[in-house]
Amino acid sequence: MSRISELDQITRAANGDRAAQAALVNRNMPIVFRTAYRMLGDRAEAEDITQETFLRAWRALPDWQPKAKFSTWACTVALNLCRDRLRKKKPVLMDELPERIDSALRPEEALASSQAQNWIAKQISVLPERQREAISLCALEGMSNIEAADVMDISVHALESLLARARRALRLTLKPSEQAGT
Amino acid sequence: MTKTMISVERVLDLIAIYGAHTHMWPEEERAAAVALLEAEPDTFEEAIADARLIDEVLEREVIPDPSSAFSAQIIAAAPSAKARKAGILTDLKAALFPKGVRWPAGAALASLAMGLVGGYAYASTDIAYDSADEALYAAFGYDAETAWTVEDVS
Repeated sequence: MSRISELDQITRAANGDRAAQAALVNRNMPIVFRTAYRMLGDRAEAEDITQETFLRAWRALPDWQPKAKFSTWACTVALNLCRDRLRKKKPVLMDELPERIDSALRPEEALASSQAQNWIAKQISVLPERQREAISLCALEGMSNIEAADVMDISVHALESLLARARRALRLTLKPSEQAGT
Repeated sequence: MTKTMISVERVLDLIAIYGAHTHMWPEEERAAAVALLEAEPDTFEEAIADARLIDEVLEREVIPDPSSAFSAQIIAAAPSAKARKAGILTDLKAALFPKGVRWPAGAALASLAMGLVGGYAYASTDIAYDSADEALYAAFGYDAETAWTVEDVS
């Protein structure tokens, strides 16, 4: 969708056009929900965050400035809400935690098992918070590096550092024999 | 580094950061990086294999869907057209008085409104109409409408 047509959709949604509101939700709700789910690991909590994000969107739409795509704005709001919630849960800076990943199953066993999807979700969920944000937005949602850095309010260079560390951590879970040697 | 030149180290970085799928690499570096990758496949073979393993893991991630009525709940909370119309008065007030209604401005507005209402009420009474007519007749030297009419007829 071009920026002009998205702006048109936002204007109509702000004026109470139900079809435009539904289109905005259907187009952007999934990425907001998935991002929140990866950060919080709980469907109900991810729904809470998504709902709150759109409540803020409805309030913001009448004064909308087309500086960023709606999805960028929504993901920024959702991530901030997730960070607040995580901070209340665990008053420990996640980035200070070690990147070592624990797994009850051997990686090759886990990937081959029927629980593979749960295993993968667990490996992503134990990544430090900022790495999880970076891998979620870039690798899993396909955002460009510039857009993801914008959402996270960091430089592209910092984003690349987080992505490299996240992928390295995931790689170590898949090759535990190398983990001992590094 | 220009758009047409890229180092082996940077391509290895791109693989380690963005994975083995070249379409995930930054657009501004992609063409040069792919060209080098194709020119020297052996140099990047191991890095690509490692990255592909992680890509495959990420591609198998499954996220549960939100509950079926979830979208409808969000849309139901959106402002309706009726609510938006009610909000137009608020918008008008905000446009006229961006810093809120202050006492001097409010008093001036109230005086204007009272003057208009009072003037209209007074002008619409018979007494006021008669007085105005009498003033008009007097201006032409007559005592009342009767005298004006009598002379006009005669």
